[in-house]
Amino acid sequence: MRLLLVEDEIDIQSFLRTSLEEAGYQVEAATDGKTAERLAVDCPFDILIVDLGLPDQDGISLILKLRQIGVHAPVLILSARRSVDERVLGLEQGGDDYLTKPFALAELLARLRNLLKRNNPPGSEATKLRVLDLELDLLRREATRAGETLQLTPQEFVLLEYLCRNAGRVVTRSMILDKVWGMRIQPDTNVVDVHIYRLRGKVDGPGQQPLIRTLRGMGYVLKDR
Amino acid sequence: MSSRTGSPKLRSAAWRISLWATLAFACGTLLVFLFLHRFVASDIQRRSDAWLSGEVEVLGDVAERTPKDALYDRVVGEVAELAEKEVPNKDLSESSSNDSVFFLQTGADASLKLWVGAGRGEPYLQAIQAARIFPDQPSDLHVRGFAIPFRVASIRIDDGSSIYLGLSERDESRVLRNLSIRFFLFWLLLVLFGFAIVFFTTRRMLTHVREITEAASRIGHSDLTARVPTTKRNDEVSHLALTLNRMLDRIESSMHQLHTITDSLAHDLRSPLTAIRGKLEISLPAFPQAEKAEPIVSAIEELDRLTDFLNKSLDVAEAKADALRLNRVPVDLDELLKIMIDLYEPSMSEKGLQVSLHSAGPLIVEADAALLHRMIANLFDNELKHSPSARSTSLRLRVEGQSALFVLEDDGPGFDPEVLPHLFERRVKGRESNGHGLGLAFVDAVARAHRGTVTASNREEGGARITVTIPLNSL
Repeated sequence: MRLLLVEDEIDIQSFLRTSLEEAGYQVEAATDGKTAERLAVDCPFDILIVDLGLPDQDGISLILKLRQIGVHAPVLILSARRSVDERVLGLEQGGDDYLTKPFALAELLARLRNLLKRNNPPGSEATKLRVLDLELDLLRREATRAGETLQLTPQEFVLLEYLCRNAGRVVTRSMILDKVWGMRIQPDTNVVDVHIYRLRGKVDGPGQQPLIRTLRGMGYVLKDR
Repeated sequence: MSSRTGSPKLRSAAWRISLWATLAFACGTLLVFLFLHRFVASDIQRRSDAWLSGEVEVLGDVAERTPKDALYDRVVGEVAELAEKEVPNKDLSESSSNDSVFFLQTGADASLKLWVGAGRGEPYLQAIQAARIFPDQPSDLHVRGFAIPFRVASIRIDDGSSIYLGLSERDESRVLRNLSIRFFLFWLLLVLFGFAIVFFTTRRMLTHVREITEAASRIGHSDLTARVPTTKRNDEVSHLALTLNRMLDRIESSMHQLHTITDSLAHDLRSPLTAIRGKLEISLPAFPQAEKAEPIVSAIEELDRLTDFLNKSLDVAEAKADALRLNRVPVDLDELLKIMIDLYEPSMSEKGLQVSLHSAGPLIVEADAALLHRMIANLFDNELKHSPSARSTSLRLRVEGQSALFVLEDDGPGFDPEVLPHLFERRVKGRESNGHGLGLAFVDAVARAHRGTVTASNREEGGARITVTIPLNSL
């Protein structure tokens, strides 16, 4: 996966490069719009990360310019601005995504995966998800653990489905709020933890291997090993 | 009249101005007409008096010179009848006009000597004797049976008899009445015309003022780049528009400056926060043991709290300056509350708090969805954190007037009375609060940005009540 990272802050660029390469991306980096344009024209990328505040031009203008010259790879916009620009929302509807700084790396990686998946949809969506002895029937909205049906509310099922789809990877609280409840909020209270706690009570029965792990300061992970 | 389309206040202003102006105008013209009327009336009177005096002199002459024989009565009578044909102000259409003039001669013994006129002469004679008429001085005479008085001139001739010539004031008063009616109609027309001119001019001017007001209020609440309409006329109203526009220029520029400051502050703080957080995160996997990871984990948590605080502070700061930027879309408050309850219900029931929603179904408002999400989340967080002993929370959602009304009530201890008046100010928090005191200030900020309101009170039956209104649409 070839990724073009356009970010003028060297500090941010360097840690992003490290973690993106760790996640298996082949990273090219640019610190301004001009360089980014040149790189994008020279060789095709699968995905782009563009910071909105570039020294020589606006990130949005760069994206629009790239679209004009035929670069159609999905873009993840990074914004340190306060309000989400209407134009960013426009791009989001056009298939791109945005993330406000500061962000959790897990969320950045998840959004990149989503963008890539959106652009290369698989032929047919699986109707069943399986993680170790946990099985989710997406059509009948039923979950079983070691053959025993779990009594889940519809919301709990959606939450578990999201964890299963990201099995083995960290999901943060804000990712859960965004994907399960459709809101970008930062509650002052531990509302998500209580949901996870309840779900764990149903999924991880007594004597069973605990599947849902909490990673403090990061989020949760559904163990797949 | 199209004044129904105008706002009642301005309409009444136009009415008021026009009414006062018209009143002054009407009084002035009425005085002028009254003066004219008096002038004409006295002129008519003078003319008929002159005719009477002239005729009575002629008749006296004739009576004196005519021999006092059997033909005397006929000759004088003929002359008197001739004189009657030259009555001034005579209405020609009226055929029986001979009752408007009478001729009466009394002998030296004041008995009726000769009578020319309609009916019998006695009532006239009685009236003349009762009224005491002086020669050479026409005066009014009221004869029994006649509503309108006669103007009578008299002359005494040498043989001791008196001659009286009377002219009914009927024709004179008819002329004057006609004149009055014409004057009145003309005056009414003039006043109505004046009123119409004043009213339409005022209304036109006030319509422009209203347009300016409407545009200004639209600008005040949504689009600071727009300007009020100006005209090419160089009058006070267009000066007002120009002044308003100049003021808006300055407001826009200071608003822009505020945005620039908060944006660059956010940017300058967020970039290092991002770098620090990222570095902390990539250093995490190097410490598999929990104890060693602990400082990093808590540093990340601190950073997240700091970020949240920064965001809310800037939002509240912008909102206090009425400068919060909104991205309005249709939002279903009913659906939003259901999702929020779904999200918060487990946390609330953990604390033994029952939550119920009373809503009449979908309620769409034009609002910034992200801000509304955060506002409701703040209210719920507040409820979770600050109502330690509440057992139930009820949410009610309904439309009231042009706004959505959202009421949150609980049966807890209610707000601290000391804190209540300052609840929506920055950094005000209850004694047991562990937050940064921005939650309710943020709720207030979002409601204000949408031109809504937030009020907090303690219920009479105990417990807290927070009422939020959000206008249904942005206009």
